[in-house]
Amino acid sequence: MKNVFALTILLGVIVIVFGSPIAGEAPAIDYRYGSPKPILPMSFAHIDHAQENCVLCHHNYADDTGGGLCMNCHVTEQDVWPLLEQQFHDLCRDCHAEKTAAGIDGGPPRQCMACHLGDDLP
Amino acid sequence: MKALVATLAIVFVITFLAAPTMGAGWFWDAGNALGFAAFGGLLYLTITSVRRLDVRAHQVLGYGVLAVTVAHAFWFLLGDAAAVEFLKPGAPDYMWLGVVSLLSLGVLITAALVPDRIRLHKDYPSFKYWHRVLAIVTLASATYHIVVSNFYLGAWYQAVLFVVVAVAVASARPYWARLGQIRIVGNATYLLFSAIFGAAFVAIRNLSL
Repeated sequence: MKNVFALTILLGVIVIVFGSPIAGEAPAIDYRYGSPKPILPMSFAHIDHAQENCVLCHHNYADDTGGGLCMNCHVTEQDVWPLLEQQFHDLCRDCHAEKTAAGIDGGPPRQCMACHLGDDLP
Repeated sequence: MKALVATLAIVFVITFLAAPTMGAGWFWDAGNALGFAAFGGLLYLTITSVRRLDVRAHQVLGYGVLAVTVAHAFWFLLGDAAAVEFLKPGAPDYMWLGVVSLLSLGVLITAALVPDRIRLHKDYPSFKYWHRVLAIVTLASATYHIVVSNFYLGAWYQAVLFVVVAVAVASARPYWARLGQIRIVGNATYLLFSAIFGAAFVAIRNLSL
């Protein structure tokens, strides 16, 4: 039994290190937007979010905390960078989840690959 | 069998107390149904491990619960190419606690088997003590993994109820003993009811009923 369990854990480690052989295309983890460490790509299409208020995401338009792209601050500011994953999950995923719970097609609420494959949409 | 059905029902029903029809796609929900079935199995193993324990039945069902737990982990590792990022340095603590839960369950089961049990423990009370400690670690880390990941227990009262259930199961063993001897079900029954509750979990969240 312990050998079976050890082998299972070893297989898990191999999948984590080398990736899943059956999951299809994997996201390209790389240095993005000047990030200090490699990060996952993120899909975001403005065209899909046109009905939202701009300042819902672009808080800097209203609170005067900077300008430019989200990533200009969120991956380069020392104080903000460690919160990148939590802040974007809280903002994007929670909003998608709230809409889905309300019966609205509000984008993927949980699936990692639905947002982290990256795309070229504007 | 009633105790198993009640345990699984409590776990799954808590997930439905808020936003019951919020689905994340059959793949994601099915993987998490496996996780909730594994957690229900853990609770059931704890409730039924009272005096005059049928050690063999407890051990065999432990294998089943471990298999479902491993299936839950590998479901995401193999099926979602980005999910592995949740198990690398920098991953959220609630995912690491999921790993801790899986590993401690594996150790809990494998270290309880002879001859390793005899090699590790000088006497039976020592084994029982450490078996209980590891069981509590497994249950606590699994509870943290589920509650803090916040995928299905978005409302505060769901989280509180889930923690209350886990704490009650772990700490009220004298009470469970008073319920009398519960015959521990086999893996076929456990897997059958896990499949039924899991299928309902996925269907309610993803079919327009």
